Amino acid sequence: MTESEDKSNNPATDEEIRNLVLSRLSTLSFDTMKSIGDMGTFGRDELIAHVKANDEIGRVVQDIEMEWLKAIKEGIVSSLYEPVC
Amino acid sequence: MNQFVNLIILVTRPEHDAGTRYLSCWMKEIISEANKKGIQVIDLHKEKASRKNFESRMDKLSPDLILLNGHGSAYEMTGHNNEVLICHEDNHFLLKKKITYAIACDCAKILGKGVADKETVFIGYKDKFVINLNRSFLSKPAEDKRAKRFLDPSNEVGMALLKGHTASEASSKSKEAFRKQIISLLSSTSSDPDITEDIKILFWNMTNQVCLGNGELKLC
Repeated sequence: MTESEDKSNNPATDEEIRNLVLSRLSTLSFDTMKSIGDMGTFGRDELIAHVKANDEIGRVVQDIEMEWLKAIKEGIVSSLYEPVC
Repeated sequence: MNQFVNLIILVTRPEHDAGTRYLSCWMKEIISEANKKGIQVIDLHKEKASRKNFESRMDKLSPDLILLNGHGSAYEMTGHNNEVLICHEDNHFLLKKKITYAIACDCAKILGKGVADKETVFIGYKDKFVINLNRSFLSKPAEDKRAKRFLDPSNEVGMALLKGHTASEASSKSKEAFRKQIISLLSSTSSDPDITEDIKILFWNMTNQVCLGNGELKLC
């Protein structure tokens, strides 16, 4: 896939995605903690700091958000109503 | 005659951080179920989840099912204090001719692919295994209803195997449990942002769980 094709499929910039993730994280409850393997367990404010820093932990959080957004775009919600087995 | 009586399960349950404490706690349900069926369980709990113990039990007892809880990477699976228990192209052969379920990040990418063959099955995750927790329950994981949303569907692999299902069926049942949990949250009338966050993580874990090798293998 060329860079321009990739851009047309996914027009959001990294900065826009990061801002979306940050805005979603800011709405989480204080009680929320996320355990990401040996990277550690993080509270809301720590997650926000990692996304802002665009480090490895922040990028995992962004990847998860992107996967979900991509799945929604592909109509995953209706297919989830069909059993796996 | 009890069809499970001669079976042996090996479980690794390190407990050196919040993530491993939760996995270890949830694994008790499977250990209890195995005990009820008269299956011998080798429980490498806390400091016992060391490479020395793991290799010696695998070698001497040749367990039928291996349930690995802990941290992982594409090449490795670790035990207590992140000591490497299994490493691709080092001692990964220990998992050959076995049924393995690794509840850890990334292990299915290289380690799982490396052991999978027609006599072996490896169920695991090809990316990060993530759970959302409630801060108030960090010291009492068993009571954390939020973590239960993620760990019950994961446990379904072990529970299904103990019921005699094939590895492939066990993975499907686990994915089905993830799906049902997502549907239940999607159907809730709450606009709680925590619920939306949990749906994303459930979907992430569900799509990253893979069953590699011979999915027709089963415990009995």
